[in-house]
Amino acid sequence: MMKKWWCLLLVTICWFVAGFAIFDISPARSTVAATSPEKISRIISTAPNVTEILFALGLEDKIIGVTSESTYPLAATKKLNIGNFWQPDIEAIIAAKPDMVITLGFPLYPQQQNLADRLSRLGYNSLTVFNTEKVSDLFDAVEKIGAATKTQQQANMLITDIRKKLDHTTLLVKGREKIRVLYVVQREPLRVAGRDTFINELIELAGGENAIGPTIQKYPPIGTEQLIACNADIIIEPTMGQKNTGQLQNNAIQYWSRFKNVTAVENKRIYVVDDDTISQLGPRLYEGVETIARCLRPELFEK
Amino acid sequence: MEQLLTAKKLFRRVLLALIALIVVMLLCSLIGTQHISLKSVLASSNRQNAIDPDYEIFMHVRLPRIILACIVGAALACSGVVFQAILRNPLADPYILGISSGAGLGTIIAIVSGFSWTVWGRSPIAVFAFVGALGTIWLVWFVGRFTGKSNVTGLLLAGVVVNAFFSAVIMFLTSVAKSQQIYATIFWLMGNIAEEDIFVLWMGAGFIIAGIIALFYISPQLNALSFGVDDARSMGINTAGTQLIAFAIAALITSIAVCLSGLIGFVGLIVPHGVRLIFGPDHRQLLPLSGIAGAIFLAASDTLARTIVAPAQLPVGVVTAIVGGPFFLFLLIRYSRKIGWLNK
Amino acid sequence: MNIIEVKNLSFRYSQAEVLRDLSFDVAQGSFLTIIGPNGVGKSTLLNLLSALLQPDSGTIKIDKKTVESYSTKALAEKIAVVRQEFVPVFGFSVIETVLMARTTHYGQLGFENDTDRQIVNEALNVTDTTGFASRLLSNLSGGERQRVFIARALAQNTAILLLDEPTTFLDLKHQVVIYDLLKKMQMEKGKTIVVVTHDINLAAQYCDEALLLGTDGSYQCGTTKDILTTEQIEKVFGVRTFVGRVGQGKFFLPLGKFAKDIQIVSTNPNCNPLK
Repeated sequence: MMKKWWCLLLVTICWFVAGFAIFDISPARSTVAATSPEKISRIISTAPNVTEILFALGLEDKIIGVTSESTYPLAATKKLNIGNFWQPDIEAIIAAKPDMVITLGFPLYPQQQNLADRLSRLGYNSLTVFNTEKVSDLFDAVEKIGAATKTQQQANMLITDIRKKLDHTTLLVKGREKIRVLYVVQREPLRVAGRDTFINELIELAGGENAIGPTIQKYPPIGTEQLIACNADIIIEPTMGQKNTGQLQNNAIQYWSRFKNVTAVENKRIYVVDDDTISQLGPRLYEGVETIARCLRPELFEK
Repeated sequence: MEQLLTAKKLFRRVLLALIALIVVMLLCSLIGTQHISLKSVLASSNRQNAIDPDYEIFMHVRLPRIILACIVGAALACSGVVFQAILRNPLADPYILGISSGAGLGTIIAIVSGFSWTVWGRSPIAVFAFVGALGTIWLVWFVGRFTGKSNVTGLLLAGVVVNAFFSAVIMFLTSVAKSQQIYATIFWLMGNIAEEDIFVLWMGAGFIIAGIIALFYISPQLNALSFGVDDARSMGINTAGTQLIAFAIAALITSIAVCLSGLIGFVGLIVPHGVRLIFGPDHRQLLPLSGIAGAIFLAASDTLARTIVAPAQLPVGVVTAIVGGPFFLFLLIRYSRKIGWLNK
Repeated sequence: MNIIEVKNLSFRYSQAEVLRDLSFDVAQGSFLTIIGPNGVGKSTLLNLLSALLQPDSGTIKIDKKTVESYSTKALAEKIAVVRQEFVPVFGFSVIETVLMARTTHYGQLGFENDTDRQIVNEALNVTDTTGFASRLLSNLSGGERQRVFIARALAQNTAILLLDEPTTFLDLKHQVVIYDLLKKMQMEKGKTIVVVTHDINLAAQYCDEALLLGTDGSYQCGTTKDILTTEQIEKVFGVRTFVGRVGQGKFFLPLGKFAKDIQIVSTNPNCNPLK
């Protein structure tokens, strides 16, 4: 009776030993020699801000596939669709035969990192950028992509250009009193951008200060008490991709009017802005900063 | 006597089922968002130099995924058979004794703690999920034993309690987690089949197939256990030993399945019933055939999940739930008269 | 030869003592009935005999060896138990059910061999259940099901058969059929039968020996003739009975307060209640 159990144990052990012997257990890194930077001619981008960077570096012709969220510049919409940001289609990516795939990384976007890992296990050249969400990451990403595609010159130019435009705005607001801003990402339950986000960085660059103090979560839900206590001077809400900004603006003023005790509501300083350039770390960052700065000090921008 | 199960009959049926499995696997690997042709796949397997995308997709994207779906499906189905036998309850499934909340807890701890190290190139999530699942089920076993030696009700109640407690902890951790982490947790918990590298598949398959064979060895005892522990003992079965082995193996293969692919529901519940409806409750047959049927079911579900809303993908758990939900209702109506703990 | 020997057996559940210092022997090939009021420990005694429970003190010897010294498998070769019917949730057929008795004799792959099949066929024949061998257990009547469980016990091919109230819920015909079957097993196959029952009359008719358990821990063991008498029954059950005689056998009618014609029965000199 026991014979069959010993048999099973023996076969199972042999199976495992064979597994260790036959297969390479270290994570397969690209054994194929990475295509040298000059030769890279087929690039896939899985994130809209990466696509923008690629365009800005003059690599438009080398882009062979993007995800559906890549809508800027317009030429990007004409590129092959390889899925969407949250679920890129690995089969489409492989079918397009890329030299390089650029994705966002861990820990911010684990599913993108996952895709990158899977692709490199399959022997593809994958690059991840933006592992965290700081403005400095934008410059790191541009550098990294520049180095990988042998466009360092363009990369440096882009970085300088972005810096210059950012400085222009920061200079405008330098030395002025900081205005308290509340950036509301969700109404019910009320969620705002906290201190640990890059939106916060933008607010500070624009001469403001986050009305909310440090919190555990990046985008903390807050209660009405805190809303009143933080006493924001202005409230900014993103359009989240919707186009009817004017209508949303009216809608917002009406919504917030119930919180009469908040300074921003009293002074009717509620702004709904197109967040295309605010919510993502891309080359048009300075536009985002300017948008916020306009809300803070509209008088500075009256021409 | 003619309708009795014999070794020859069983062998024939298992063989036929395996052939059906291979056919299904082949069909599934030819279906996907990209159109590939079998001809170019076969052609490129000879050529070493040029990388043909069809071959790439077939060998490195689809096939590993289908193999994974097969071994996870087999594990969940067989585990379902075993839990239904031990608990003598047709509504039992592999997650009934706390595995789901244990795995979920492990997952969210891994994600929230922000570990970024890897084990053999795989994220710690899978490892934590495995430990969580296995640890929880043993916790439930020990708590259940406290309430009575072979008391099935004790086990079930312990499972409910542990599930409730762990779910509360999960909710707490979710509320303090960052939003991307929450997304990652939910995504993982919904169950997903992705391509794994072949070493992982080999090892996972080894454990699971060995487990299923071991369960087959104790199938006659599982049959006897259907009549209750007392009757089985009187027939000479070592009930304590059988229950322990069955439980341990079912727990192990379920934990491995969960570690490989997250929580995929309904497979462990409906496949055993489907097979039982056609072939009867004899575990010597029910077990291997359920394993193969589970493999076919999950491979087909996964293929559906990745093509039906292409280019996006449904989590495979959605497909199994859509098929499984109505079936579960049907089961409930059919068996509500016969459920032991209602009639006792 | 005494195939079952019980000495100074005591057992208690957490709340109450059920058996106290019980000693009796069962000769091989005899038909014993265990009778007593509810709660006195009859089923408990069966469970102790079949090693489902451990005694607090005392010994039980089966075939000269203590019950503890048998492995589960070995004990199942000596004792087969038929409990109150239990229908599993999943539908096994009659023949599959009876075949399970042979599980411990299965081959390497877990399948029965020809000897097993032969034994099972015989068991089906004897219990007259061959006719519905392929029907599902749940599609049978109570009486038919009980015969199937007895067939399963017979297929275990043991010297001893323990039955716990085998005829509860059965109609008159099936009650007799079952006891006839048991008697046949005793007489033709030499099996030792121990039956727990509430039915005094059937017990009186069929059984040779009787063990009468009282709620105060007292017990009487002996031949049915000696043990089953009006006085004993009244003492143990607290009920008066009228004893009648049919040929060689006795029957008892319990007499309650509102029993018909009780005055006539108890005072009529022509009615002769026999001791």
